[in-house]
Amino acid sequence: MAEPDCVELTRELAALFRAGGERLRDDDEFDRMALRVHAAQRTANPTLRRYWDGVARAQPSSWREIPPVPVSAFRDVPIVSGAAEVVFRTSGTTAGASRRGEHHVASVDLYLAAARGNYRRHLFADCGPGSGAPRLALVSLIAPPDDAPDSSLSAMAGFIAREPEVTDPTWAFHPERGVDVHSVTRAVGATTAPVLLLTTAFALVRLLDGLGEVRLSLPAGSRIMETGGFKGRVAEVDRATLYGRVGERLGVPRTHVVNEYGMTEMLSQAYDGVAGGAGAAVEREHRFPPWVRTRALHPADLSPLPPDEPGLLAHCDLANARSVCHILTEDLGSTTKGGGVRLLGRAPGASLRGCSLTAESFLRLTRMSALSGDAPR
Amino acid sequence: MSTPAGTPDPGRVDGWVWPARLKPPERLAETRAGELVVRHPPADSQASRALVTSLRAAASDLSSIPVAEMAELLGGAADALVSGLDGDAVSRVAANAGMSTAMAAQILDGMAVSWNGETLRHLVAAEFADPLVLDGFVSGGARAIRAAGPGLTLHLGAGTVPGVTVTSMIRALLVKSAVLAKPGAGDVALTVRFARELQRIDARVGAAVAVQYWPGGAEDWDSWEREVFRAADQVVVYGSDTTIESVRARAPAATRLIEHPHRIGVAVVDPGRAPGAAAEAARAAALFDQRGCVSTQLVFVLGDRHPVRRWCASLASELVALEAVLPPRRAEPADLSALHQLRGRLRMKSAASAGTGADESDLWYDQGSRWTVVLASLDAFEPSGGRTVWVAAVPDRNACLRELAPLAPVLQTVGLAGIDADRADFARELCGLGVTRVVPLVQVPYPEADWMHDGSRPLGELVRWSELR
Repeated sequence: MAEPDCVELTRELAALFRAGGERLRDDDEFDRMALRVHAAQRTANPTLRRYWDGVARAQPSSWREIPPVPVSAFRDVPIVSGAAEVVFRTSGTTAGASRRGEHHVASVDLYLAAARGNYRRHLFADCGPGSGAPRLALVSLIAPPDDAPDSSLSAMAGFIAREPEVTDPTWAFHPERGVDVHSVTRAVGATTAPVLLLTTAFALVRLLDGLGEVRLSLPAGSRIMETGGFKGRVAEVDRATLYGRVGERLGVPRTHVVNEYGMTEMLSQAYDGVAGGAGAAVEREHRFPPWVRTRALHPADLSPLPPDEPGLLAHCDLANARSVCHILTEDLGSTTKGGGVRLLGRAPGASLRGCSLTAESFLRLTRMSALSGDAPR
Repeated sequence: MSTPAGTPDPGRVDGWVWPARLKPPERLAETRAGELVVRHPPADSQASRALVTSLRAAASDLSSIPVAEMAELLGGAADALVSGLDGDAVSRVAANAGMSTAMAAQILDGMAVSWNGETLRHLVAAEFADPLVLDGFVSGGARAIRAAGPGLTLHLGAGTVPGVTVTSMIRALLVKSAVLAKPGAGDVALTVRFARELQRIDARVGAAVAVQYWPGGAEDWDSWEREVFRAADQVVVYGSDTTIESVRARAPAATRLIEHPHRIGVAVVDPGRAPGAAAEAARAAALFDQRGCVSTQLVFVLGDRHPVRRWCASLASELVALEAVLPPRRAEPADLSALHQLRGRLRMKSAASAGTGADESDLWYDQGSRWTVVLASLDAFEPSGGRTVWVAAVPDRNACLRELAPLAPVLQTVGLAGIDADRADFARELCGLGVTRVVPLVQVPYPEADWMHDGSRPLGELVRWSELR
């Protein structure tokens, strides 16, 4: 069971996030809150306490001194303070990963609080009371929460579908069948309201391919939130080219296409622009809300790097108060002097295959053993 | 991207050698491989047909070379290859393979032993009771028999282990089969040099050998691949399950496939009886940076966890020492990221299971080091590459056999240290699981020329026997 402090802290953080979390922009304030969360996690989660005791010599005096947990640890160990309300799983196995990562989320409300203000600022900036802006017709190429209950991205799409400005949500992606191009064209043809298209970069490419030579003009003011493409299946997406195709085929200018960077293991997200005013793809940088701090760490020894020097990204996300805040990712990127993050994708490396057994082949072997009824190992 | 053929460039390596009688391509395609860009002829079905026709025509000349002479010729070419590898050439081989120059030099020294003329003569003698069967029919009782390699053997090499393709070419030429070799991306530089030596040393052999690199499995090479799979009599393929399944799916039934899939190397050590085993295990893991099928990735150490911990510490010390002698390649962010993730993940698993015994792991590594020693149960094992040695403490040999059973389909080499009593019985049980090579741990890195490669005879798997009654 979670200690009362952890539960109380969750409520406090949710309220802080809903209010915008501005006071966390102050470094001392962020440190104070991060250390409170760290102490609560140490108390509530003996696994984390033992992990930190094993790798750090002293109590941290700043969030920077809290040893980050590698993101791959989410594959093996449920990292949660208290009981999980939902378990989100990563979308698949990446090279060498033997199982999917799991984020045991003890407070969906904290996830909503962290995600909502942020997506509203970046996707609904021209909406809301008194703005005179039209309502938005939602078309989602992200599976609906009912079809993908263990997807954190689907959960967020579900949050967005419930926003007051959103009408007539169209769910045009199925986990097995993929993008339903016909549903998209029908939904766009049936509305005069601007469309809010939620999509992964992968699904967006599939939609554009599926349209072929057809030009599907979305109403003026339409906007797109695309995510992914920095890792996983669409690692090679060239954003400038993709946005160019979006402009040609869907009639949505790049100023209205924003990229969201998130991961199952983090409850906060970063965006690289505000829909309606986003810059050129090559010039953009991602920004997290004030309750997230990011560092680029030297790949050799994990020492912190100054702005503009690329390294492995580590994020400290206070929205992860009920799991673990400080995470070492496998992503390469740099911080900027202005507090942004430039993403460079998965850490690149030459393919060093020889004739020795690789993790991928080993994974196939263990799966085959499991299927044949033998114990895999 | 393409460049005019013949333009020299220090950052580029030629990934092709065609028989002299063929017109060279006018332009070359380029593919990045390791730190170099490989230049090679583009996919062109006319060119592939001309290449195959030329090689097949040359194969008949090969059959007239006596096997003893062939062994001499090949050994001579290999000697010339090795003696011609100056510092710059070794650096290029190393850069192509993505390994340190010191490592590449040691690997070449080690592999060259199995390429010299004397070794090749022994290989032929080990495989054929009367090597003259490779030259024609040899009478014996009611029949005469002969063994011959088919007209054309296509070799698809493994990624980044230099020398694998050269070995494969030598085997096919010894049985007088013409060779079309597609080296692994990291084995281009050495393979091309060897083919040039063959051309230089003997016109008949040179005319029966071609090297052509292409990005294997690429969509725009599919037609080319299907054509050469059809044209070859047999394909020797090294690679992952995916590579092998892809070749199986596209090669016609008439083309024989000889498969060498990814394998795992294991060691079994009784530390009380093998004081030098930690050094031997460190070398078996560090050589090839664990990319070889023979490379040791997993060590079973007989004993309780406490003494096995001490052995792991010795292994760690040996790996530290080897970082100077056999330096790893320049670190890429992905390698380092994978190391941080692995180490942190194991620490977290250990923290989660503290006191339960399950999933408990001990780790040895230095900050900034490239090696890692993991003492854990086999449940935690996953091949990690680089220089990650997984150690499992087992009470006895039977426990070791039980633990190895699930790995049976991918087992190959087992190195033994301190396992002397009833060694043959233990080896028989290991081979019953699927192991095909049991050797002293110190001999693990370099198999003998006549080793039973993945359970087959290296020349025997290439020939077809015929009889005359």
